[in-house]
Amino acid sequence: MNPAALYRVSGSIAVIILVLLPLASSEMGGVGPFVLNSYFMHLAITAFFYAILASSWSLLAGYAGQFSFGHMAFMAIGGYTSGLIGKFIRFTTAPSELCTDIPLPGNWWLVVLNIRRVGTIDESCLDMAKAETLPAGTLIVFPPVWASIAMGLVMGAVFGLLVGWLVLRLRSTYLALFTIGFSEILRASISAEIPITEGQSGLELVPLFPAGIMGFSSTSKIPPYYAMLFLFLFAMALMTWLAGSRFGLFVRAIREDEEAAAALGVNIVRYKVLVFVVTSTLAAAAGALQGHYIGIITPNTLIILQMSLVIAMAVIGGLENIYTASVGAIIITFVLELLRTNVEIGPILIDMTLWRLVFFGLLLMLTLRFQRNGLLFPILERISRGGVAEETVSIRVEEEELVEDEAGVDVEAEEEERAASPGNSK
Amino acid sequence: MENAAIFGWALLWILFWGALGGVITPRIYARKDLEISQASFGGAVIGAALGPFSLVPLWLATPKITSRLIGISIALVVGIFIAAFALADPDNLCVANGGFVISQLANGIVIGIIYGLMALGLTLIFSILGVVSFAHGEFYMIGGMVTYFMTAQWIPGVSPVVAILASCVVTFAIGYLFELIFLRPMGSGEIERPTEYAILVTFGLAFFLQYFTQALTSAVPVKAQRFFPFPRVEIPAESGALLTTTPGNVTIFDAISVPNPRFTAAVLALLMLAALLWFLYRTWVGKALRAVSQDRQAAAVTGINPNSMNTLAFSMGAMLAGLSGASLVQVFSWLPQVGIPAAARSFVIIVLGGMGSLPGAFLGGLIVGLVEAAGTGCIPDATRAAAYIPAYGMVILTLVLLLKPTGLFGREL
Repeated sequence: MNPAALYRVSGSIAVIILVLLPLASSEMGGVGPFVLNSYFMHLAITAFFYAILASSWSLLAGYAGQFSFGHMAFMAIGGYTSGLIGKFIRFTTAPSELCTDIPLPGNWWLVVLNIRRVGTIDESCLDMAKAETLPAGTLIVFPPVWASIAMGLVMGAVFGLLVGWLVLRLRSTYLALFTIGFSEILRASISAEIPITEGQSGLELVPLFPAGIMGFSSTSKIPPYYAMLFLFLFAMALMTWLAGSRFGLFVRAIREDEEAAAALGVNIVRYKVLVFVVTSTLAAAAGALQGHYIGIITPNTLIILQMSLVIAMAVIGGLENIYTASVGAIIITFVLELLRTNVEIGPILIDMTLWRLVFFGLLLMLTLRFQRNGLLFPILERISRGGVAEETVSIRVEEEELVEDEAGVDVEAEEEERAASPGNSK
Repeated sequence: MENAAIFGWALLWILFWGALGGVITPRIYARKDLEISQASFGGAVIGAALGPFSLVPLWLATPKITSRLIGISIALVVGIFIAAFALADPDNLCVANGGFVISQLANGIVIGIIYGLMALGLTLIFSILGVVSFAHGEFYMIGGMVTYFMTAQWIPGVSPVVAILASCVVTFAIGYLFELIFLRPMGSGEIERPTEYAILVTFGLAFFLQYFTQALTSAVPVKAQRFFPFPRVEIPAESGALLTTTPGNVTIFDAISVPNPRFTAAVLALLMLAALLWFLYRTWVGKALRAVSQDRQAAAVTGINPNSMNTLAFSMGAMLAGLSGASLVQVFSWLPQVGIPAAARSFVIIVLGGMGSLPGAFLGGLIVGLVEAAGTGCIPDATRAAAYIPAYGMVILTLVLLLKPTGLFGREL
């Protein structure tokens, strides 16, 4: 079987397994001996969430060579936008008079709430309006979840465009410098603006399907599983298409040599900004969905350490391939959970919640140094080369070239000379 | 704020004419076939300074945009900004109380010296290796942690000098090992795309060091005692009008008050700076370092080993960060996470000063220190002002990237 077909078949099998997986969950009664409890389902959703983040980051970093440390910030922008719309926006059939009313066509009003904190109770102007000015029988409708998630996406794209336009005109180091500061400042302002974002105690979001769907309750894990899986598959399809198109070609040309790409007519700033906007929007989508699924979002989700985790997933899986990055993210999410139990060695208690991250930090550095393409990519390489290791192939090609080359003798002599003095061999 | 509208309109005025000047000036200069390298930046600051009153003459006469013109315009913009703030909020402490302003300025300079020292380490690394170390904040954090644990836990009663030296040794050693194992192969061409590799691997080091420290020390904030309490002095005696010191504070002229920890930290930083300058300009190794930063090949031809200079520069940069952490652990409370805002601030400073410029880093540190002091002192809502400390640096960074990405003394990156 040739490698492309092998990939296609194994990919389809993996997708089918993922789609059928909820049948084995405890909510559905399980299949035969396999019963997946809701904790496992929760882990699977989280794994897809990280897989979207890691693979979109690998499109940005591994394909385009632009290193953003603000990916989690865009994730949080998606989540917070969606949450804030749910908190502050309502639709009514009559003007409230006490809040900011914006008339809409068809006798509807968009109401922007004004929430004051009196003692320990939040007092919203709509509650007061209900008692005073609103006529009886007025409908009050929450904004639909899909619309607020869509707004989260739009905000992610807008911020991506602004940051990208500011920084991507310059060399890639500036993007890394700026995005660290950007996510710090976003974290600081979310923590400080307590009346709007609830600060450290976290902003509550409505469930993904507030009224339940197709017989599943709003707390069931199965609808969110499919929602996140769908987003994951959609993101992978989108990125596969992008990576294979002209766009992907240009973006990789920019990574290899910016000046050369520009000289060949690639508008490098435009393509860098485009890839940054696309990946930031994907991160925002993942953030909004995860926010509605968990039901709360706190500023701690965008600290740099969360970002490091996503980077570690992408790098350990394989940075230069969106599939290895996403598979790496899924595997590492589960491994991190397995490593949660504390270890006792004699009198010393080892707090694994911290040491597992120390371990991943070290693994990240070692992977970068000794196995640049990640730990999964070599396995793929091996399969696609039909069991022949990469080195043998390249040596064979070199030898063939040498034989064909007329000046081959000189080159060979040079090779020998270089091999003889170990200091210059590299 | 009483008349917030005045301030808002002034800000809008500055931004509007600045943007207009920045966009249109280079076009006019290009049409007249004049040099446009400074036109965008110059046009923006000149427009921001006097609006149409300066832009119209500029566009008609199109003089050469000199650094003096730019300097005067920047001074004018700052002046207008301050005047608008004073008009908008006349009761603010920063407007009404001269003593408070001078104290804030003194504190800003004092803290700015230490920021400058930390950024010097980063810019030293960049000028030799061409690498921005994303683990710089973690060296800062480790310097403070080692100093605190030496003085407070492991050897109580040890002299702070010993603890600071120990933190220097530890950070130098970590930097040395890391450079040898992870950055040395970059020079030999063993690693593809070294810039990307360097960004990721130093970030990985930051991740590792931060969790490693947290696993060892737990996440409880710690703070060291004052290192060197002042003796009680009053000059002239009894009244103390010229100089008064208590163990925790020094007051000069009854007006400028600087807390002891900040003062000693700044003195330490100045001593270290003097030592660094002596090392870089008076010793053979220091001259070799500067030679490598100017031209690697030429330096190698004259018998300097660039690889060992890389190692030395990286470990010295790490040590400078560790030293600023060691001197600040008596000022701020310390957590494994303190490195991140500090690192972000150093990035702002080196971009502002110009990547790889040593005087730029020091001057940038002073500017950032002053802006932060002004921000925390002048914003009316005190808790909010403190929460937004990292934001002031980011405003500077955004402006620099928009207007003059090479910074004050930068060479092209």
